[in-house]
Amino acid sequence: MKSSEKLIQAIKEQDVKPVPKWHFTLKNSLLWTGFLIAVFLGALAFSVVLFAIQQTDFNIISHLTHSRLELFLGLLPFVWIVFLVVFVGIAFFSIRHSKKGYKFTVAKLAGFSAALSILLGTLYFLAGGASQLDKVFAANVGLYESIQEKKMKLWSMPEEGYLSGEIVNVSPDFFQLKDFKNKVWEITFEEAFIPPVVTLERGEKVKVIGKMLSRDAFSADEIRPWGGAGKRMQNRGQNR
Amino acid sequence: MIISKQICDGFSDLEIIQKSLEEIDFFSCLFERYEEKMLRYIKRVAIVTREEAEDILQESFIKIWKNLHAFDQSLKLSSWIYRIVHNQTISSLRKKKSYGKDQQVELNESLFAEMAEGKEGLSETDLAEREALTERILSQLPLPYKEVLVLKFLENMSYEEISDVLKIPEGTVATRINRAKKAFREISNRQFVSFEI
Repeated sequence: MKSSEKLIQAIKEQDVKPVPKWHFTLKNSLLWTGFLIAVFLGALAFSVVLFAIQQTDFNIISHLTHSRLELFLGLLPFVWIVFLVVFVGIAFFSIRHSKKGYKFTVAKLAGFSAALSILLGTLYFLAGGASQLDKVFAANVGLYESIQEKKMKLWSMPEEGYLSGEIVNVSPDFFQLKDFKNKVWEITFEEAFIPPVVTLERGEKVKVIGKMLSRDAFSADEIRPWGGAGKRMQNRGQNR
Repeated sequence: MIISKQICDGFSDLEIIQKSLEEIDFFSCLFERYEEKMLRYIKRVAIVTREEAEDILQESFIKIWKNLHAFDQSLKLSSWIYRIVHNQTISSLRKKKSYGKDQQVELNESLFAEMAEGKEGLSETDLAEREALTERILSQLPLPYKEVLVLKFLENMSYEEISDVLKIPEGTVATRINRAKKAFREISNRQFVSFEI
């Protein structure tokens, strides 16, 4: 018997049927859907990482006297970095197993997946979505520590020279600041650097770098707005 | 009913696939068209007997039949068939645990005769000796090197076709061929043989 006859006989005997076309179409569609979803979720994760970098003053860590590494690690948005890596990995896996995925090197596919997430994530961050996402997580996930909470933690170390809160009263030589634990401090600012975006007025939230003088007195070297632009800039933006 | 060669020759590969989906007997046309080429390829990549190669080929064509709808028409059908046959060969080798560096080629008369096919200008003895040496050196190469050399120089494929068969980027094919050639030269020099590749 010829080999071709044996083959046809074996196919008939084993009743082997061609797998339907929809099966392959579905598989390919699932891979691309997986890729798009992973890129989108990776983008969300990247936008929060960007938000964390923007909100957290990593540059002040070098001025701290102790536990720098511990503090630095505590400030990193680990959850979001892990999400980002996982979703970029899923996107890479999906595209690698698509029909033509093998045509590209691992570096190109991983780079492409990451670049898409980074691009979309940056746009989402610029649109202000990242802070909302952070808030939603903080409100709904019990163990999640929001970027704002981490930031408050960093700026609530008067012994280290970092203090923050809301201005409650202003005098020519000093102002009173209520920190996030509701303790009121008297801040002197004669020599302090105050950027134009900061307005020393009641209700303004600020970050203060300086020296703790006593249990409720602090001397400011520099005053920064609490988040992004200060109240003055925000008002200017609203008036336009 | 097996379709005669005369009828098969009247159809292109794609037409045979279409016909096969309507009437399975037409699938024998595709098998016969690629049978000898694929058997030769299996024996070049793996050290197997004719019977073992035929078994591998039969398994491969059952897979081809099963996955007929998966064929991407932007590929050459031959590349797709090579891919499935290649994967089946590697899978069989793994099962036998007899692939890789430790393989030693068995030089027998049929192998000599087979490798002499299509070669001109050399005496039969010279040709057989040369081909046997080539085969022996190839058998000492790691599988990733051996497969690219076989596809490039014995199956005369382009980089793109090799990329489609092995499912690796063309750049990787080029790099692997360069490394394989170097490894091939090193082994041939150790055995005092000079090859132009």
